[in-house]
Amino acid sequence: MIAAVALLAGIIAGLVLHPTVPGSLEPYLPIAVVAALDAVFGGIRARLDGIFDSKVFVVSFVSNVVVAALIVFLGDKLGVGGQLSTAVVVVLGIRIFGNAAAIRRHVFRA
Amino acid sequence: MTTQNREQGPALLIELVNQTLDPGYAAAAARRNGAQERPAVPRRAAAALAAGLIGFILVAAYVHANRGAPRSAKVHDALVAQVRTAQSAGDSLDAEQRGLTSKVDSLRNSALGTSDASGLQREELLAGAVAVRGPGLQVTLRAPKVSATPSPNTRQGSVALSAVSALSDRDVRSVVNQLWASGAEAMSVNDIRLTPTSAIRFAGEAVLVDFQPITAPYVIRAIGAADALDTGFAASDVASRYQTLSAAGAIMFSFEEEKSLTLPASAIAAPQHASVTPTAGATR
Repeated sequence: MIAAVALLAGIIAGLVLHPTVPGSLEPYLPIAVVAALDAVFGGIRARLDGIFDSKVFVVSFVSNVVVAALIVFLGDKLGVGGQLSTAVVVVLGIRIFGNAAAIRRHVFRA
Repeated sequence: MTTQNREQGPALLIELVNQTLDPGYAAAAARRNGAQERPAVPRRAAAALAAGLIGFILVAAYVHANRGAPRSAKVHDALVAQVRTAQSAGDSLDAEQRGLTSKVDSLRNSALGTSDASGLQREELLAGAVAVRGPGLQVTLRAPKVSATPSPNTRQGSVALSAVSALSDRDVRSVVNQLWASGAEAMSVNDIRLTPTSAIRFAGEAVLVDFQPITAPYVIRAIGAADALDTGFAASDVASRYQTLSAAGAIMFSFEEEKSLTLPASAIAAPQHASVTPTAGATR
């Protein structure tokens, strides 16, 4: 519950502050977005499964973002940043899909 | 490749698809042994912080993605508006100049004697300073429709020049020169009157006639003895060249005799630096 309220607060803060993304962070933005979405869907599903754990939520989100950013950073240095960021998006995208399907099963029982 | 290796690939993918939830949740639940004790306050605060951060990231990405486009569109619109106002200002100045010129002309004609006035009118006719009417030939050059998709070999955002303008100043110029050679007495290109000092040039992707940009289709109107113009032009190399190109589908080219053509006056001012030499007849 608190997490949902905090999510809304974060969205409102973003809308009010209109943050500017510095140019050096721009390549990591899509990765951060997908990792954030993955954390959100994973958290909702765990909550519906009754096994939500705030520590796991925080650690998995932070580590996902950091690892994904690290992969892209390394890829950029080695000249394969685009391909690696595609790989990250595909893997996290599959997870988002699976979690969304599980949430759907919980909500609609179908 | 061993059997083990072959099975590892699909197994990885199957695991990826089936185990979408972070295994950490299940592990944590197992550690808690199903006991639903409320988590400590710092943990809940950390979760709230992470959730807030997630929302912030999502909105930041949204704002970032949607900020650039409208701004460039705004700049583009502003530029278009500037060009439009400049064009309309130029048009109104042009119209004002025409009106003043006609006023000056009528005043001058009333002040001059009949013979002087008719002589002056003849000079003006030759110089292209007055609108004229008469029979003649109308030549139309039109570029075919080209698809706007750039070829894959060009850099992104650039379109090959040949793809945009199949016709250039050279084409307009050769038609104009051929029409002069075939006996045209007065001529206009897209309603811009050609004078003895007119230039047909090419700048960027636009053909400039007396520094006024024109775009395809290029309509060249020539006043002269219509039959002679028609025969002379039809028999020329220029006409046969464009007929060949038009048959191949590269351009659209047509010309026909007209009973009555009206050409506008040129807006070119009188020479300011050139003056008649004192011994005009004696030079050379």
